[in-house]
Amino acid sequence: MTDTPAILKADGLTKRYEDGVLALDRLNLEVRPGEIYCLLGANGAGKTTTINLFLGFLPPTAGTCLINGIDITRDPLEAKKYVSFVSENVMLYGNFTARQNLEFFAKLGGRTALTKADTAQAMRRVSLQEKAFDQRVKNFSKGMRQKLGIAIAIVKDAPAVLLDEPTSGLDPKAAAEFLEIMAELRREGKAVLMSTHDVFRAKEIGDRVGIMREGRLAVERTRAELRNADLNRIYIDYMESETAPAAA
Amino acid sequence: MIGAIVRKEIVSNLLSYKFFVVLLLMVLLVATTLFIMYRDFSARLADYQVIRPEPGAPIAVVPPNALSIFAKGLDNAMTRSFEIGVLGVDVRAGQSSGNIIYSFFPTPDFLYVVRVVLSLVALLFGFDQISREREQGTLKLMLSGPVSRAKVLFGKWLGNFISLAVPFLLVTLLGLAVLLLDPNIHFSSGELGRFGLILALSLLYMAFFLSLGILVSALTRRSATTLIVLLFAWALLVFVLPNLGTLIARQFVSVPSVRALSEKREQTWTREVLLGLSDRGNWAAHYRAINREDDRMEEDYRLKFERLVRLARTINRLSPAAGLLDAATEIAGTGIDEESRLKAEVVRYKNSILDRIIGDQLAGKRDAQYPAFAYRYRPLGEVFAAGALVDTAWLAIFNILVFALAYAGFARADVR
Repeated sequence: MTDTPAILKADGLTKRYEDGVLALDRLNLEVRPGEIYCLLGANGAGKTTTINLFLGFLPPTAGTCLINGIDITRDPLEAKKYVSFVSENVMLYGNFTARQNLEFFAKLGGRTALTKADTAQAMRRVSLQEKAFDQRVKNFSKGMRQKLGIAIAIVKDAPAVLLDEPTSGLDPKAAAEFLEIMAELRREGKAVLMSTHDVFRAKEIGDRVGIMREGRLAVERTRAELRNADLNRIYIDYMESETAPAAA
Repeated sequence: MIGAIVRKEIVSNLLSYKFFVVLLLMVLLVATTLFIMYRDFSARLADYQVIRPEPGAPIAVVPPNALSIFAKGLDNAMTRSFEIGVLGVDVRAGQSSGNIIYSFFPTPDFLYVVRVVLSLVALLFGFDQISREREQGTLKLMLSGPVSRAKVLFGKWLGNFISLAVPFLLVTLLGLAVLLLDPNIHFSSGELGRFGLILALSLLYMAFFLSLGILVSALTRRSATTLIVLLFAWALLVFVLPNLGTLIARQFVSVPSVRALSEKREQTWTREVLLGLSDRGNWAAHYRAINREDDRMEEDYRLKFERLVRLARTINRLSPAAGLLDAATEIAGTGIDEESRLKAEVVRYKNSILDRIIGDQLAGKRDAQYPAFAYRYRPLGEVFAAGALVDTAWLAIFNILVFALAYAGFARADVR
């Protein structure tokens, strides 16, 4: 896997906000095809800032953010062709049905020739109930909206997927279904970068797990390294240590 | 991709309560105003049939302008009857609907509905275009795709413009079709063309307020804040600025009051009568002297008034509402310039028959015949050259400027 070029790559990525807060400090990170990278960290650690920088919503203070080798700052529209995004609270158009939302965002993602069968297949893949396909989204639960958000990401069929706290607020069944979908994306060769607070699910699904603190990647562990380790303990230790250690 | 956004905006509007409330309001207002203005026009047309001069009578009067149903302007003043006598022009009451209630509750014409209501409706459509999507979180999802902000903005603008323009045009054209069913109301092809131009200007005006709504929406984070800012801007642009120009212009250009003019006319008249009595009744010379003095005063008044209007208009152009009013009334033939031109034509008519009138009066001829007064409204080319083109250009510039600012605001907006 390490020989294949990274789809998502952060190189010395730094973000200092206008109020002087250093949100991200020289982050180096790579996610390869078929790999799920989980970013752990407390609130304000820099996880969401990293996602926002990859999406071009923020300009970096220093460093680069590459998607499929394309610098998001230099050519954002070209870079965004290769990435899908699922936010913490998937917010969609409440008056539209699930299908209408899916079709609209798929078109914006460049999938203009989707058939009804394609949209139905994408919604089935995320285990959205058939009867919900043509229901208005305003009546959906958070879990259903999250599933639809993932269906939107799937239908775009981009090689990279960014997820910002995707399991937050999901019930255990929905969270388990979500992990299934993630595993499927891995099998398809997608490069997945997921920010999360959920240590247990990160260990379960992540091929690599990075713990962020004060804008820096404090520690990074592979799946093999974590097999017999207590990720929760490692996380708490790093959160409680007085100074942020360099990436270990 | 723009097509998808345009379609999304239209469907989104069609599914919203806001759209139906606005549609209902538009139907009610346009239908009501057209009905009332049609009744007013019919009544004035009936009055015209009564006061219409007999062939050969020295009276200048023009029939009510059918386009005044849409843009009333100064049509009431223009359709007064101007009776020519030895002492000059005697302005009589013209056609009026005779219903006193209309003076108490002035009827908003179609142009008023466009200026006040349509602008507000356009703001209501634009005010949450960016801020609402940002609050909902859908903007982030939208911009995570390979779509430029320029396309998102233009798609949103176009989708909302179509959502507003189509029902507005349908309601208005339906109203026009109903008016055309009345055999007493005749619109020539030229007048229909002028009406088409007024509609086009109305759409340009509506587009400005839609862009303004989107601009403020892109600059503010909360829809509630956007609404407050926009209501303030709307009141300023629609009500305050159009009056401000006239108030400022009055400080710089002094125009004598109508009362002062009447006083001066009476003084001239008294002086000439006394002189006439003292020189044993060479009345023809005195009548001419009175007319010369009247014309001089009228010309002086007209020049000062035109200067005032020019300055006021220049200042008022800061407001698209004033620009629309000026351009649309001039195109309809009910504007200030057209009224001034009509007055000048009446004076010219008077001077062309004055010698004969004086001669006939002194000879005691009671059934003398005079050429009829004929008035032709200015052709469109002249109307545009005189100012409507500048007003239209300003509206277009306002549109481009506000949309460009909206884009600049949106391009820098934090969508997180």
